[in-house]
Amino acid sequence: MTELIDRPPLVEQPPSPTAELLRVRELHVSFGERAAVRGVDFALGAGESLGIVGESGSGKSTTALALLRMLPAGGRITGGSVELDGRDLAALPEEALRAVRGKRIAMIFQDPMSSLNPVLSVGRQLDEALRAHGERRPKAERASRAVELLELVGVPKAASRLGDFPHQFSGGQRQRIMIALALAHDAQVLVADEPTTALDPTVQRQILRLLARINRERGTALVVISHDLGVIAETCSRLLVMRDGEVVEQGATTLLLTAPRHSYTRTLLAAVPRLDAPSRAAANSTPGAEPLLVVRGLAKGYGPRRRRNAALESVDLELHPGETLGLVGESGSGKSTLARALVGAHAPDAGGISFAGQPLDGRRARREIQMVFQDPYASLNPRLTVGRIIAEPLIAHRVGDRAQRQARVAELLEQVGLEASAAARSPREFSGGQRQRIGIARALAPEPSVLVCDEPVSALDVSIQAQVIDLLARLQRELGLAVLFIAHDLAVVRQVSHRIAVLHRGRIVESGPADRVVTAPEHPYTAELLAAVPSLPTPTAGSLL
Amino acid sequence: MTTLSLPSSAPLLRPRNRYVAGLLTWRGVTGLVLVGVVALAGLLAPWLTDADPDAQGAQALAGPSGAHPLGTDDIGRDLLSRILHGILTDLSIILTAVPAGALIGAALALLAATSRAADLVVQRLFDLVLSFPGLILGLAVTAILGPGRWPVVIIIALAEVPYFGRQLRAGVLVQREREYALAARVGGAGRARVLLRHVLPNAVDPLIVQGAVALSVGVFIEGALSFLGLGVRPPQPTLGSLISGSVAYLDTDPLLAAAPLAVTTALVLGFTLLAEALNRGARS
Amino acid sequence: MRTFLFKRLPSGLAVLVAASFTVFLMLRLIPGDPATTLAGPDASPATVAAIRERLGLDAPLLSQYLHWLGQVLTGDLGPSYAIGGQVSELIGDGLAATFQLTLAALLLVVVLAVPTALYAASGRRRPLAGALRALTTGALAVPPFVTGVLLVLVFAVGLGLLPAGGHASLFDAPDLAVQYLALPALCLALPSAAILARYLQDGLERALGEDYVRNATALGVSRRRILWRHALPNALPSAVTVLGLQIGQLIAGAVVVERIFAWPGLGQLIEQGVSRRDYPVVQDLLLLVVAGYVAVQLLTDLLYSWLDPRVRWE
Repeated sequence: MTELIDRPPLVEQPPSPTAELLRVRELHVSFGERAAVRGVDFALGAGESLGIVGESGSGKSTTALALLRMLPAGGRITGGSVELDGRDLAALPEEALRAVRGKRIAMIFQDPMSSLNPVLSVGRQLDEALRAHGERRPKAERASRAVELLELVGVPKAASRLGDFPHQFSGGQRQRIMIALALAHDAQVLVADEPTTALDPTVQRQILRLLARINRERGTALVVISHDLGVIAETCSRLLVMRDGEVVEQGATTLLLTAPRHSYTRTLLAAVPRLDAPSRAAANSTPGAEPLLVVRGLAKGYGPRRRRNAALESVDLELHPGETLGLVGESGSGKSTLARALVGAHAPDAGGISFAGQPLDGRRARREIQMVFQDPYASLNPRLTVGRIIAEPLIAHRVGDRAQRQARVAELLEQVGLEASAAARSPREFSGGQRQRIGIARALAPEPSVLVCDEPVSALDVSIQAQVIDLLARLQRELGLAVLFIAHDLAVVRQVSHRIAVLHRGRIVESGPADRVVTAPEHPYTAELLAAVPSLPTPTAGSLL
Repeated sequence: MTTLSLPSSAPLLRPRNRYVAGLLTWRGVTGLVLVGVVALAGLLAPWLTDADPDAQGAQALAGPSGAHPLGTDDIGRDLLSRILHGILTDLSIILTAVPAGALIGAALALLAATSRAADLVVQRLFDLVLSFPGLILGLAVTAILGPGRWPVVIIIALAEVPYFGRQLRAGVLVQREREYALAARVGGAGRARVLLRHVLPNAVDPLIVQGAVALSVGVFIEGALSFLGLGVRPPQPTLGSLISGSVAYLDTDPLLAAAPLAVTTALVLGFTLLAEALNRGARS
Repeated sequence: MRTFLFKRLPSGLAVLVAASFTVFLMLRLIPGDPATTLAGPDASPATVAAIRERLGLDAPLLSQYLHWLGQVLTGDLGPSYAIGGQVSELIGDGLAATFQLTLAALLLVVVLAVPTALYAASGRRRPLAGALRALTTGALAVPPFVTGVLLVLVFAVGLGLLPAGGHASLFDAPDLAVQYLALPALCLALPSAAILARYLQDGLERALGEDYVRNATALGVSRRRILWRHALPNALPSAVTVLGLQIGQLIAGAVVVERIFAWPGLGQLIEQGVSRRDYPVVQDLLLLVVAGYVAVQLLTDLLYSWLDPRVRWE
């Protein structure tokens, strides 16, 4: 406990006498009264790579933005300095700073879709980046440089794609274009703020490799900000852990991950689900023999009849009572469509769903199958109180009178680990993890036997993630629920599932016992997914995958 | 069982409160004061002046005096009384027409939410009304119904129907795709219940801003129709007819124009400022 | 382009057909015997008969409608009832004047609104920005008939700089024509200019708050270039849509403005037509306005899809 309060001394800076390129001293950033960053201190040598990791609210992104003085409105550097080659960027006048941004120090933002200008062609945007700094190069030269940059980041057929617009590229290609923009002037420092958070695992791996290659081959110093330790472990040689605006610990990545000195780092590491950890589902409950929910040949498409896009080609699934089935797939695989079809929100085009041996009708589905949503903010009606949100399904199914419903709401709130007094409050007053508990309480209200969880933890910090997963496990143990756990994070899925099914382009390409699917995948796509998961060295020696 | 403790205060404003916060800016307060003063003057007309707005006196185009604080018009009627009663006429027209337009527009938007076919029909209906730009719609209706008070009400309501309708339809389309609406459906609520109890309350807020805009447009339309001699029948005073009647005497008796101009401008400016204040509040 | 040809064009035509049918039905909505009502209380039996014949009131509705459409398409609209003369000629006389007025106003709208919006969105807290904001609020809040009266009061009555009303041919006396045009065009343009300026400024400010502007800033692109080359192209498509809607307001507003400034355009004609219940004039004019407006909408949609690549390529 004392360790939480007493900060250990900072790990000595690795001496980089060659060139201390970027030196951040006692950086303080405030938004109005609130201090977001408090005394961050680090140094970065030429060609080095530094990862900054932390949970939401830790100040990691604010730190990154402060490096280029790109803080959002209301944010201000209140103390300290950011020295690039000895020049303090924090004190530079705006015009001088402009000459540095993009030329000496460049940045890549999280969401490549919104960070690229939708109405300008990619060629135009590269051209804008190229002409932003000084030397008047002829147009033809800029165009050939733009092609070079696109080729460097691995956009195929670069020359023919200069006239295309951002929406004509895939998510991964957009992030590559963002990197090309940042490299336009061969900046010495590249700051990447959550560069892969919006991407699928397989694409994430490609982008991380690209960043590592740029760092290695061009000698560009990297600062990568991420909430995901795995991402940082793959790209950065040094690591800095932040919490509540302060640096908790920093040091060489391998050392810090295998022998963390601060208790917070240890908690953080312990909370990260590991792909090599075996499934814990068997210890939690034993599935029944007869399947409860059987899906056969389920198909669903979108769009007009003639040009229909099939989201689900043909899906076969079985879910047993008391079982957790992990459903893994990347974006566009059809996993959300499947979830919505199961809860009766969409009528399927073909195929059928049967529940306990009988075809599932809408009414039955709405009682027996309930859903937990991904976004803990969008899934709770902001106009209703928490109590009313949880009572809504009871009202819809005409369960009990007012007093009975009130009692049931209180019971449900306690069941998910909230105080009964929460019923009278607005969902806005709760944190993401607490909101997710409210969503779970609502799903439990009509006493379902199946819970469909659509990415229930992917919007949460790892420590909160672990709590919500524990809650789901406990509920399964107590109520014998069958759970369909949909997620893209294989490590989480392995941990919670009895069985895993892999969804790819609207079909289940592989399914089997959780541990077997992870350790001995049969389908090449499963193997590809597994290979894309960033690996993390284990604190205790041995047992690396 | 572990119970998480709850945060003690609510740092975030609820949507409704944001509108109130918007009203408490200088824009909102100015708008409220302008509209309030003008409306109060109209409502208190019978107590503020005892002159009959339609009674013709002996003195035409008289200057301000004790008997006639703002003077008289071209046929000797008391200007102050006519302005006050004119405000009353305008207010009664827009306060009938705008809510009617809003209700009809909202009803059509909800109808559009029921099925694809209904949506198509309702949308084309809005397109049809909107294909008669502004005052042209007024002229078309007047051509059928003739001039008068009710045609003015109908014109204002009709002109506002597509704006309210489109706004609500857009809001419903957005809110319906939010996860909480799906959650309500999964929880067992029927389509009507999801639409009316969950989606609608989250989609109506922008109509508040539209309402303030519509009130100012109402004054515009009444004035323009009166100006063309196609509005409320004389001798009943309206703000538009007072301005229109003063134009002929602009160079000799500018006060005749100045007073109704000031009142109309204050009223419309007030509504416009309110709309802006509400809009800014909603976006903050 | 294909989306436009296959989706937007047919729906525009559908609205046009529906509107023409509505306009056509107007006549039949008048209570009682339309011919007698239309001719007015003092009309001779011959006039009533002429009206009945022209309307073809005995024929089935659809054939009456087609007959009228035929008239419209051939340009021979027949005689007016109350105003006198052929409808086609009456419309022809006013069309040029109204076109001049609305076109001048449209130019003024663009010239006034675009620099105002760019200036206001350029972000520096210059003293002028506040004044401009107040001015646009004022222009928004003051109805055109009020602006018109004020303009006459100041520029014609007070300063004696410009004529209070009237019209001169652009070809015979260009300088005089411009003097006559100035006040009505300004009066007509002000509210629309204020609205366009607001929307454009709003769009620019929203674009300036987007991630791609943050990205451009991080790349070292200058503020000025960000405003013109990054934010403006994003704000332009919706501003074009607003401008299209405002053209409708200009056409409608012209009716009032022509009245204030004694401008001999279609506004005067339609106003006379409505107040004297000259239905052929009203009917044909309404159709003309609606057709023009629908065409403007289609054009702005086309322009929008040209300006916004996301729509262009879908």
